[in-house]
Amino acid sequence: MSRLYRDTGVVLRTYKLGEADRIVVLLTAENGKVRAVAKGVRKTNSKFGARLEPMSHVKVLLYRGRELDIVSQAESVESLAPMLASLDRASRGIATLEAVDMIAIERQPNRRLYEMLVGALRTIAAHPSPVVVPAFFWKLLAAEGFRPVTDRCVRCGEAGPLVAFDVGEGGTLCRACRQGTPISAPALALLNDILGGRLNEALAADESSATHEVASLATHAIEHHVERRLRAVAMFEGA
Amino acid sequence: MSASYTPVVQALIEEFGRLPGIGPKSAQRIVFYLLKLPVDDAKRLAKAIVDAKERVQFCDRCFNIADGPLCPVCRDDRRDPTVVCVVEEPRDIVSVERTGEFHGRYHVLMGALNPLDGIGPEHLKVRELVTRIGSDDIEEVILCTNPNTEGEVTALYLARLLKPLGVRVTRLASGLPVGGDLEYADELTLGRALEGRRVVET
Ligand SMILES: [Zn+2]
Ligand SMILES: [Zn+2]
Repeated sequence: MSRLYRDTGVVLRTYKLGEADRIVVLLTAENGKVRAVAKGVRKTNSKFGARLEPMSHVKVLLYRGRELDIVSQAESVESLAPMLASLDRASRGIATLEAVDMIAIERQPNRRLYEMLVGALRTIAAHPSPVVVPAFFWKLLAAEGFRPVTDRCVRCGEAGPLVAFDVGEGGTLCRACRQGTPISAPALALLNDILGGRLNEALAADESSATHEVASLATHAIEHHVERRLRAVAMFEGA
Repeated sequence: MSASYTPVVQALIEEFGRLPGIGPKSAQRIVFYLLKLPVDDAKRLAKAIVDAKERVQFCDRCFNIADGPLCPVCRDDRRDPTVVCVVEEPRDIVSVERTGEFHGRYHVLMGALNPLDGIGPEHLKVRELVTRIGSDDIEEVILCTNPNTEGEVTALYLARLLKPLGVRVTRLASGLPVGGDLEYADELTLGRALEGRRVVET
């Protein structure tokens, strides 16, 4: 049995190890989430260069280890530079990594998740809209089987007006049943664009109170799903 | 690890094993080396550690390592007070000094932003930097954070924060190998990167 294997993946995060090494967590196309040691990666003459930084999209040759794999080779699939060209791009890219890291399971192949992440990072590089991250979060939740009800009251079925959203109930609520977070009509329209596959319309939205509402709702929904707080998403708000 | 070590030796191995970059094997090697040392040599080493901990402090102004309230760079009147080089760690100052290309002062952040680990601006010496810009005669801030994702994010954040304060904010020229730590950069490359620094777009 060969212990060397090839895969393509996105670096989700890294941890310093010893003087010059790093542990690299990758979401791969074929092998799910993989943890691997990159030796000497922090030396400036490292053969890995910038290819194993968070958000890097790489082809890797890995050596299967008992606990940690070892990165033998890494080749860049696309440049990291656009992601580091502005604070919006970098912080939004990192927010997607954090959510994926919480959802992905080690060594459990999930090609769809990998493809969604690559797509989200490409969208952010090309057009860092304030809606990309919330849209990505809602898509992640849908892929996980959580699809909120947004066209009627999730409790009594009333068609409207819908004035609140409750993550625990799984959708929108009418005036009589309202609980959770209040939701404005423009935010609900934006949420329906995202969930209804009208992503281009949604991404074209300028930053507004509606985009903020949808973003905080999306973060709240992901946090509810993974039962953890997301750290990256709030860090640069207002910066 | 064998259980046959005496508790004293075991405790020492554990202490060394806690140091950065030292695994159990290295800790064991260091401890056996120390046990063979003449008593005076061991005492000198122990005293050097205690002296350093008691006398060394961080500079009140820039958070460089100092043996008084101000570090040697901040005490030196020949240094240009209008240019400040922002680095992640005190050891990065050593790297920049080695180039001989920089004659201004420093500001040590004591780390880099790491959103995934929850390390935000409030965990770094960011507020202190803003205060310095408000009170000292600073005209240019050179962002010398590591050329990796954390360092770039830190530089982008600082650029956005500092530009409205009316200072020129520059970043090391590319040419530094991305992904590496500043402390491993050779002085020629780092010197060139300093010379070719550019204003950060935000
Ligand atoms: Zn109802
Ligand atoms: Zn100082």
